[in-house]
Amino acid sequence: MIHPFFAVVKKELGSVMKDRTIIISILIQLFIASFSSGLLLGMLSLYDADTIMRFSGAGIRIGVVGDASAPLASLLTERGLNTQTFPTLTEAQSAFYNGDVLALVDAPQDANGLIEVKLYLPDSDTVSSLIRMVIQEPLKQYENVLRAERGIEVRYTDLNGKPATSFEFVYSVLIPMLMFFPAFVAGSMSIDMITEEVESKTLQTLLSAPLTISGMVGAKIVAAVFLAILQCSAWLLLMQMNGIEIQNQGWILALALVIAGITSTSAALSAAFLQDRERSQFIYSLLLLAGVGLSTGLNISPITTLSRLAVGDAYTNGWNVMIFAAVFAGLYFLLLKVSRRLMI
Amino acid sequence: MNQILVIAWREITRLRKRFGGGASPVAVIVLLAVLGLSAYTLRDTVSLGSGLYRVGVSGDVPEINDSRFSVLEVNQAEGQNLLAEKSIDVLIVNADVFSREDDKSQFAVRALKQYMEKEELVRVGNSFAEGDAFPLRVGVNYLNAAQPPVTGDAGDSPPQTVKPEEVIIPSLTPPPAPFTQVLVALIYIMPITFISIFFTSSFMDEKANRRLTILLSAPVTPFQIILGKMLPYAVFALSTTVLIAYLTNGSIPLALMIFAPTTLFIFAIYLMVPLFYRSFKDTTFIAMLVTTMTTAYLVFPAMFTNSSDLAYISPLTLAVKMYRAEPFGWREYLLPSLPMTAIFGFAMFAGTRLLNEEFLMGYKPITRKIGDAIYLMMAHSKPWFAVMLWSLLVIPAVYMAQVVMLAFATNLPVGLILGATLLASALIEEVVKTVGIVVLAEHSVVKSVREILWLSFLSALGFLIGEKLLLLVSVSVVSQANVSGALFGAGVFLLIPLVAHFFFTAFVTLLRIKLKFPYWLALGIGTVIHFFYNVYVLRGGA
Repeated sequence: MIHPFFAVVKKELGSVMKDRTIIISILIQLFIASFSSGLLLGMLSLYDADTIMRFSGAGIRIGVVGDASAPLASLLTERGLNTQTFPTLTEAQSAFYNGDVLALVDAPQDANGLIEVKLYLPDSDTVSSLIRMVIQEPLKQYENVLRAERGIEVRYTDLNGKPATSFEFVYSVLIPMLMFFPAFVAGSMSIDMITEEVESKTLQTLLSAPLTISGMVGAKIVAAVFLAILQCSAWLLLMQMNGIEIQNQGWILALALVIAGITSTSAALSAAFLQDRERSQFIYSLLLLAGVGLSTGLNISPITTLSRLAVGDAYTNGWNVMIFAAVFAGLYFLLLKVSRRLMI
Repeated sequence: MNQILVIAWREITRLRKRFGGGASPVAVIVLLAVLGLSAYTLRDTVSLGSGLYRVGVSGDVPEINDSRFSVLEVNQAEGQNLLAEKSIDVLIVNADVFSREDDKSQFAVRALKQYMEKEELVRVGNSFAEGDAFPLRVGVNYLNAAQPPVTGDAGDSPPQTVKPEEVIIPSLTPPPAPFTQVLVALIYIMPITFISIFFTSSFMDEKANRRLTILLSAPVTPFQIILGKMLPYAVFALSTTVLIAYLTNGSIPLALMIFAPTTLFIFAIYLMVPLFYRSFKDTTFIAMLVTTMTTAYLVFPAMFTNSSDLAYISPLTLAVKMYRAEPFGWREYLLPSLPMTAIFGFAMFAGTRLLNEEFLMGYKPITRKIGDAIYLMMAHSKPWFAVMLWSLLVIPAVYMAQVVMLAFATNLPVGLILGATLLASALIEEVVKTVGIVVLAEHSVVKSVREILWLSFLSALGFLIGEKLLLLVSVSVVSQANVSGALFGAGVFLLIPLVAHFFFTAFVTLLRIKLKFPYWLALGIGTVIHFFYNVYVLRGGA
């Protein structure tokens, strides 16, 4: 005969499969993941100068009034922009209206000790915001040239590196989100499973089976965490198939498991105190928010720990996961103490 | 009206009892304090790339205070070793920066560059006179490329600009990006969503303990019940809008005008949740799905404010415009607001039809439940009228679904985006056009082939009218958006699309009703044919 504990686990998993609700959850995650990367792609192609330069840099033709060897003109050319020099603004203007250049940069002029540059952009929002995006860097460099002429040295100007937005997004947003969203859902599900028994008054019937109240709550938590881990493993696999390199996968899964345990246990705790779904879900969301805030404040954020594990940080390892495991154990102990409240 | 107010008052009392009751003031204060504290820490420390890089510093290096970097004090030799063995990503020794060739180190250098640029500006700005620290002024002017100035005899006349000059200091003025304003606009949405979750919970609570049944037997109409229960939450949601507009220096009347349709829309969606759920788990999942979809629908287009006119399908775009003090007209206002209000009206109609005990308490597969819901909405009028009206009224929902699909599809490889969107939109269109007829046939309201053909024609006609009406509103705003044209098949001759719509609808319904194909299979076949028709039209064939 199957142990009553596992019978409850099996019953909960069965109902999730039967209702097909888990499909919605997976759909949401897929949607969030693709939506946020779509958003990133869109933002990069509009707001990131490097991306704009890579895709349409050659098409951005800028008319510069004055000498081609003047500092500003050469900085624009160095940026990879397609520049064309004109001796006067009038000639540059006719090139603009002929469609030879998209924008004009007038020669720098001295105005009471300040240097003034006039920029002429087309009236189209899209093109002019793209041009302002790509022209920003050369203008800043030109500012540094002018500062140097005034004897002001700006340090660290020769840094370059590679555009990091995609890397930062994948490791600090996408991976933590996909690993912790199932945990968040597991908490909500634990509340649903527990309060449903209380509110529909089936708890007493369930307890007539040879199972303690802690055993019953524990079984529900196990079911929720099991589903979370299943989803996390699937995401890890999918991300690898997409060519995202993830280090320390074992520890990452362990961390996801522990966090799902923490969320489910805190959810069960709030259900034990409040007994109804409406308030429990509310308090659970607030607790979650507070937990994220506090852990960040104490510098042990699970999100940062996960990011570091995933990039293979030299100073992050299983011990960092143990901290959360200790929290989990503490919370579970507390739950064992208070789960009797559900029987009242 | 009186009835509605009575129900609204009852709702407020219920909420007060639930949340005012057993909560001890100490617990509330502790919770609020914890929340405040966490909001404070999160505001300061959470950023993209949090904790990803390790930096070694040695000598005179400015303090690095950025959540992306963990700083390690080292001496130079030790630092070089750590860098070589990949324990740190960058080493800074005085004014020199050392890095490796691999990607991670290079990413760290770029992040460091962004940070140091800002720090150096602060240092330079603090230690030198303003004219020396910021010696450059850039005057940004706009020219109308389509209208060359009439060339007079004066050769060196200043260019004719279309807007007053905007003077900027490049290092202090980031290029215009609506991102921050989108975030501000998003602040409006969050309380509305949160409040509407309470609205949903209230319905569910009453459904679970069967008080809704008692209410339904009282001499009030379902319409009055829904409106009465919604009223306190809607008032509360709109007051948060006023508060946010006041705190962020926005225009209060304008904010209300922009967000009232949005509020109605979000409430409409959340009204559907308690009507369809079967277990508590359902609600959690459905509510999450709805929240993500609506947020995506609202936020995604607003990111492209001023970059594409398609951005106007989200009301957040209007809010972004409001914060930038840029004007917008009635058409721009109606493009997002009209479909949202229409969906609210539709949801209210559906709600009044579905709020009966038999529907609420039945435990059936979700698809079956949706079928029943559609039947309940249609059963009260003649089939021909119901089918045509249905096709016409669901257009706003179809439109929104297709926009969400488009957002979804941008994640695919570029070559597949258009194809996937076309396929998805063909599927959505076929579903809405045929589902009414199929449901009516299941309840034996429709039987003969003639009736099916006639209803298919009406369904196609209703859909086409709705589609063209929407196109009329959107085309005048979305001048450059070919996507909208592709999605809605902007054919000039109405006859061809009408025949096409009729054909697909009749085909799917006949397959299902007469040849007893499973509905999914009939839909699949219809979708594929529709898809190829769309591709043919797009290639310029019709």
